[in-house]
Amino acid sequence: MEQALVAEREAAPRDADLLFERLYRSSRDDVYAYVAGLLRDPAAAEEVTATAFERAYRKRSRFDPRRGEPRAWLFGIARNAALDELRRRGRQAELSAEPADVAAPQEESGERRLILTAALATLAPRERELIALKYFAGLGNAEIAEVIGVSESNAGTRLHRAVTKLREACDGAV
Amino acid sequence: MEPFRDDNELIAELLALRPSPSPTFAATLDERAAAGFPRRSPFPPQRFAPLVAKLRALPPRRIAFSAAAAALVSVAFVTAVVIAGGSGTETGPGPRGNTRGSGVLGDFQPIEGAKPPAAKSEADAGTASAESGRETLFEGEAPAIPDELPTKPSAANASHRDVERSASIVLGAEPGDVSADAARVSEAVHANGGIVLRSSISDGSAGHPGASFQLLIPSTRLDDAMASFAQIDEVRLRNEGSLDITAPTVSLGERLKESEARIEALLGQLAAAETEAEREVVEAELRGERRHHAALRSRLTTLQRRAHFSHVSLRIESRAGSTTPGGWGLDNALHDAGHVLSVAAGVVLIGLAVLAPLALLALIAWLARRIWLRQARDRALG
Repeated sequence: MEQALVAEREAAPRDADLLFERLYRSSRDDVYAYVAGLLRDPAAAEEVTATAFERAYRKRSRFDPRRGEPRAWLFGIARNAALDELRRRGRQAELSAEPADVAAPQEESGERRLILTAALATLAPRERELIALKYFAGLGNAEIAEVIGVSESNAGTRLHRAVTKLREACDGAV
Repeated sequence: MEPFRDDNELIAELLALRPSPSPTFAATLDERAAAGFPRRSPFPPQRFAPLVAKLRALPPRRIAFSAAAAALVSVAFVTAVVIAGGSGTETGPGPRGNTRGSGVLGDFQPIEGAKPPAAKSEADAGTASAESGRETLFEGEAPAIPDELPTKPSAANASHRDVERSASIVLGAEPGDVSADAARVSEAVHANGGIVLRSSISDGSAGHPGASFQLLIPSTRLDDAMASFAQIDEVRLRNEGSLDITAPTVSLGERLKESEARIEALLGQLAAAETEAEREVVEAELRGERRHHAALRSRLTTLQRRAHFSHVSLRIESRAGSTTPGGWGLDNALHDAGHVLSVAAGVVLIGLAVLAPLALLALIAWLARRIWLRQARDRALG
């Protein structure tokens, strides 16, 4: 009986560890992509990604599934870490640095990517964050809404506006 | 170059732009994840870093339990310190044994020996004090000896001493023996020529059986009577006291003689009075002096009765609920438990009074920081 209780007690943290491990494996690249898309600085993105996972790991036992999705919870922590980094720098994320994996513009598609990158730089940080959450991190509208603290429909509307603005910026550049 | 034809084309390009972590970073992060994300610090590891890390890793529930246990231990410790510090209660009926005391009531001396001698010089005051002193003596406490006792030469040189004696005795009896013991007390009183002034006997299954007596015993038979009482049952407490009332007795006697002489003189004046007016004046003085004489005689009689009879307070206590011969039983345990709980509640109350404002301030500070941080992060997005 006592052994069963001990096993039960030990099983709880093990569940949290397993859940976190799964979350880490499924979200590592997505978190990095979101942070890098927001900060536009690969070195800072690595630092912030590591910090975000570190914080999430410390708080893993406090995660309550009734209050939201694990990915939204993780991206909320990553968002705070990224915004702290932006505050620390005392400046907003800039598009001065190129994404590390952007291919060189040797053909038409490369030229388009350059235009797209420049157009992203013209967006307001809030709009760029939405683009990063949706297309870099792969979050659904519901998860985005949970991360930025608005309703799902509001998140969808904001996202649509951001995409429209991005397209207009690209068209203007062409 | 052609512009994007639609949003899908734009989104496809966006997806292609998605940043990916470098293999080196990914490998490093995986290693840290496998190691449980050890803290990175720009400072050298501190002495208590492992302990702090272990505390941080504890689940909140376990921290709450530990904090509650620590608070409980603190309350218990402070309660023990407070109780041991002197605010405890007596748990027993008092020490067994005999206490004897004696005193001398001098002229114009207040009865309580602890008080400084009063400056009054009238005999009436001294007599009144002697009379009021009976109340103290009859409580069963032995009177303390006064520091200074001014005594008239006539009282100091008196060949006969008038001493008032008093005593109290507490007997312990089994609940079923209370009635029998009370009857034996009455027998002993009568056998020694005493009088039962007041008695009260509680018997039966409900409540605590017991009895109390207020007795008058001839002073010459007091020792015999006390010995008889002591044979009835276990003596839990015995007090005896004495008070020398020679001075007020002698003083009153002298004043009584003076009053008698004054009355004799007034009677002579009355016989010699020639006019009606003179006779009326003398008669008025005579009436006043006779009243004074009667009052003095009454006081003297009272003092003499106090010297001739001793007041004895006798109480029979049952041992109901007692678990030990010392008398400390369930009632005392309940009383002490209540006391301990009340002290503990007081400690908790004081602790809350100190901690609650601090906790409130901490909560306000935490909320303010949280709001400020949220706004600062919001501003970081522009």
